This record gives sequence, structure tokens and C-alpha cells, in this order.
Amino acid sequence: MSKFSRLVPVLALLSALRVGVAQEEVYLRVTTPGVQRVVIAIGELPLLAGGDPLVASRFLEALRNDLRQSAVMSPLSDEAARLVEVDPTNAVLTRQRYRSVGAHFLLEGNLIASAGQLVAEVRLFDLASGEVAYSRRLQAAAPLAATMAHTLANELVRLLTGRTGPFLSRFAFISDRTGHKEVFLMRWDGSEVQQLTNHKSVALSPAWSPAGDWLVFTSFLSGRPQLYSLRPTEGFLKPISSLPGVNSSPTLSPDGTRVAFAAGDAGNTDIYVVPVTGGTPERLTSSRAIETQPAWSPNGRQIVFTSSAPGSPQLYIMDVEGTNSRRLTFADTFADEAAWAPDGVRLAYTTLVEGRFQIAILDLRTMTRTVVAGPGNNESPCWSPDGSTLAFVSDRTGRHQIYVTDPEGVPRQLTSEGSNTSPAWVAALR
Amino acid sequence: MLRRFGDIVLIAGFAAALLGPAACRRPKPVVAPELPPAAAESSAPAAATPVASTVREEPTVATAELPEGAVATRELPADLAALNQAGYLTDVYFDTNKSDLRPDARQALAANAAWLRTHSTVRILIEGHCDERNTEEYNLALGWRRAHAVKDYLVSLGVEAGRIETLSLGEERPFATCHEESCWWQNRRAHFVITAR
Repeated sequence: MSKFSRLVPVLALLSALRVGVAQEEVYLRVTTPGVQRVVIAIGELPLLAGGDPLVASRFLEALRNDLRQSAVMSPLSDEAARLVEVDPTNAVLTRQRYRSVGAHFLLEGNLIASAGQLVAEVRLFDLASGEVAYSRRLQAAAPLAATMAHTLANELVRLLTGRTGPFLSRFAFISDRTGHKEVFLMRWDGSEVQQLTNHKSVALSPAWSPAGDWLVFTSFLSGRPQLYSLRPTEGFLKPISSLPGVNSSPTLSPDGTRVAFAAGDAGNTDIYVVPVTGGTPERLTSSRAIETQPAWSPNGRQIVFTSSAPGSPQLYIMDVEGTNSRRLTFADTFADEAAWAPDGVRLAYTTLVEGRFQIAILDLRTMTRTVVAGPGNNESPCWSPDGSTLAFVSDRTGRHQIYVTDPEGVPRQLTSEGSNTSPAWVAALR
Repeated sequence: MLRRFGDIVLIAGFAAALLGPAACRRPKPVVAPELPPAAAESSAPAAATPVASTVREEPTVATAELPEGAVATRELPADLAALNQAGYLTDVYFDTNKSDLRPDARQALAANAAWLRTHSTVRILIEGHCDERNTEEYNLALGWRRAHAVKDYLVSLGVEAGRIETLSLGEERPFATCHEESCWWQNRRAHFVITAR
């Protein structure tokens, strides 16, 4: 960012954006009203002679699409771009023309698509200073052209905000579109839906390791609820807990090595921890009440969970050793499904307001609670990997669907086929 | 909102019952018909009129309690699906968010326990179910609690614990699918599946 220290307008714009993100409006408003996105013009990116134009156009289309969907950046509109007369002999003049039609940055470079490889050599010019803000050579196998575009878009967002973009992120979720509840994957924008399990049983509550290398979920595959872990890129399913009871609601430690979950015999349900590769579960809570829905803190040291000990489900927090357990929620008649923001300070959870599920956010520093109500029932909150927004499940259309807040602060429906629940968002697959 | 287990291949013996037609066509909850008003009140003659003949007293027949388990299970349908269809065991219902047994549940379970004591080879699965309110994961835990509340009560009434399996299905297999109390009360239940005769 030091490169931009002289660029007052852009910096002011960016800091305004950050304020918008940091406030409690994350759910309904990612950006505060009136804050512009950074406009990026995609200039000359010629394909070098002999290259495969299809590969190049897949890359450019994916890049434009990412810019269009970004909360931080937007592509220069086609109308504005048409006004720019590119002077091949005078790059400085061309950049001035881009700036005069509203672009803040200009992306230029060239593409090489041959021998099954795509290479993009790109430079991002800051049009206010004329400096090169970013330059990179990206290379990948040709079928990964879109992935390469998402990687570049992620880096542009990181350059502008200090946090990587969402363009490689994915959801695991549960869908009953086949007639059974199975685990599915999709990209963050709802595209590339992929069915991961085909158990023809009931699958519930998928959870990622933050690195995206493990997915853990509950399945009735054996006839009873058991906990399974899976490396999505390899596809081998491993049963990791067959304790008596529900074996439900897994959450992974930040380093991805351990899984906290709910189970227990004789009708009781407590919180246990087991290695992600399986092993002997260790019991963390022991009460006669229902303890479920653990959520591992981003610093790895604490676990928030739901306990029915007060007579209704309420959130509690404890150390990962199971000690220092204390109640967190007092203002709710119901509190469940805690999701810890990556900042380790905010908890999103499901509460009950006038008989309907709504999402609430609890700030653990101030212990202030903000209810973010929407139409219908709204539940199962899930933070974006950068903590800037939430995905959630709503039945506002009559069926349960997954939504995410778009850059304008409007919840955008990501799913529509069958009922879709239990979103779990990860920065990228590993 | 969700369909029942279809043709899923499961392994355990109890699972076979879970899968079978019985699991797909569950008996409707039995509503006890109201008793007619007591005969003595409704049909007492207005005046004492002599009757044409009197009814002879029946000869006394000696009766005794059967020893436990003496009733042969061969009286029961041979097919487990038919056995489950026949409705020998009554499902019990719960209040919202509760796993405590209501008086009507205790009454039904006393009858279930008596039947199970007489049919001592029968093995059962108790499924705990919930309505769609609460989160899925919480309901899974609540259904587990309900199944065990029922198991514990049957055991206290003399049914061997080893004959009883338990399973929570949470809100995953609702009996009625509307989104109001007329359906919800039917889904807050412990459902009995006979897994061996």
C-alpha cells in the first residue's frame, strides 16, 4: 500500500470501504451507501501469435465476471471504454484517456496460449500516479484459464484491501435435489455446482478445515449418524467417529488437525474432540443437558457451543480443554449455530425473533448484540473467508435456499434447485 | 419437506426394518375414540317392570396370569413389515422442545411394555423424531433424548434394555409435512419399529 501514499482520492475511497466492512452492517450492507468501487479498465491484453483464442477468451471472460461481482472493484463500463481511443504509440496519453472516463486503474499485458499452457503477463497501472501498482506473470495449464483469472482477481483485491478476494472460494452445502440430502460443492457465486456424495441417505452439517484440505460431515450412510472426513480432491471417505448418539455438527481446529463435534450415549449429547484422521474421541463437556454445535475460535484456543442447560438453547464458550465454560447469550430466547468470524471478535448465530429465526451478531469485545432481520426464517450463518460478509439460509421463497449479501447489500440467492442448507465457506480447495 | 429412506442399502438388522415398507407407510397416530356414555346411565328403565325371563349366571371360569413370554410369537404376522403395519406398539408424542414423557405417553408406554413383556422375543428400534422448528443439529440431539426417555421408561416397566435399539432421526423424516402445529405435533414423537419377532 505504501506505493499509493500519494493517491489521496483512491486511498480515501478504500478506507471508506474498509470502514463499511468493519462496521456491523456486514450482513445487509457490505459497502456503505455512496462508496464507489475501484474501477479497473481492462486494456490491451493481446494474445501472442499462434495462441489458442478460446483459452484466452475463457481467461478474459472469467476475469471480467469476477470484476463485475466484486464488492471492491468493478470493470470500466463498456460505454465508457468505447470512448477511449487507444494510441498505440503513446501509452501515457492512452492512460490519461482511460482516467478521464472514470477508470482508477488500467490492466494491461499480453497472453500466451500455446503448448497446452496459458501465460498471462500483466501490469496494473495506477492512473492517478502513472505508477505500476502490480505486475505479475501467471502460468497454468490451459484448462485452468478460469482459475488463473480468479487468482489474478484475488490478488487485485488483496492489493486494494489487504485481504484476498473471494474468487477461488467455494461452499460446501447440503441439497436434497436428488431426493436425498447429499453434500454438494459450488463456487462462491453459485456456479459450478458439483455433487460430492451419493449416499442416498441423509448427510448433514459439512465443515471445512480453514486450509480447504478436509471436509467433515455427518451421514446416516450406515443407518445411524456417523462422522466422516474427506479430502475433497482425493475423494476417500473416512469414518472418524462412531460414538453412540448423534455424531453431528463438526467444526475443525484452525490448523485442520482436530474436529470438535456432538455425540453421547443414553440420550445425552456432549461435545467431543477427535483427530481429523480418526482416533479416540475425548470428551469436553459433561452435563445432562444437550450440548451441540461447537465452533472453534480462529486462534484455536476456545470453542463456542450451544447448551440447553438454561432451559432453552443458549451459546456458551469454553477453553479447548473443556474448562472455563461460561454462558454468552442472555438476551435471546433461543441461540444456536454460532459461527466465528475470522477476526475472532464477532460471532454470528441464529436467534428467534417473534417466532422466526433471524441472524444475530455478537461482538465479544463489547458483548453487544445486533439482530439482522430479513423476511422469512433466516438461519445457519456462515462468514466469508475474509470476514467481510455472511452467507445464510432463508425460506423467504417458501423453500430453504442459500443467500449471500452482494456488494449492494442485497441478499443474493445462490441456489434454487431443491432445498439447500448448511453452507460452509472456504477460501479455496487444497 | 424430506423424503423417507428409499432404496438405500443399509447393513444392520434394525436398518432392514427402517428401510422396509413399514418405514414408508407408517401407521397413522391412533386417536382413542371417546367412550360411549356408561350403559347404566343411558338405558336404565324408567320404572321397575318385571322381565319375562332372567339371565342365568355364567359358570365361573378360572383365570390366571400367563407366565411372562408365554404367548407364542407365531400368533404374530411372520413378515416384519406386516407386523409393523399391525400397530401392536403405539407411538408416543412430546411437547415442543421437550423430551419429558406426558401422562398420555406413559399410558401408551405401559401398554407397549405389557405387550413387549408378553412377546419376549420381539426386539424393537425406538426412533426419536422432532418437528422442523429448531436447527437440524439441535433436533438430532433432541430426538436422541426422546428415544432414550422412552427406552428408559420401558426398561423401568420391566422390558430388557438389550431388546431395545435407539436412533435419532431429528427432523429428517417428518410424518406430516405442513408448516404448522397440526403437523408439528405429529412429528414430535417416538416411533416404534419391530426389528425381530
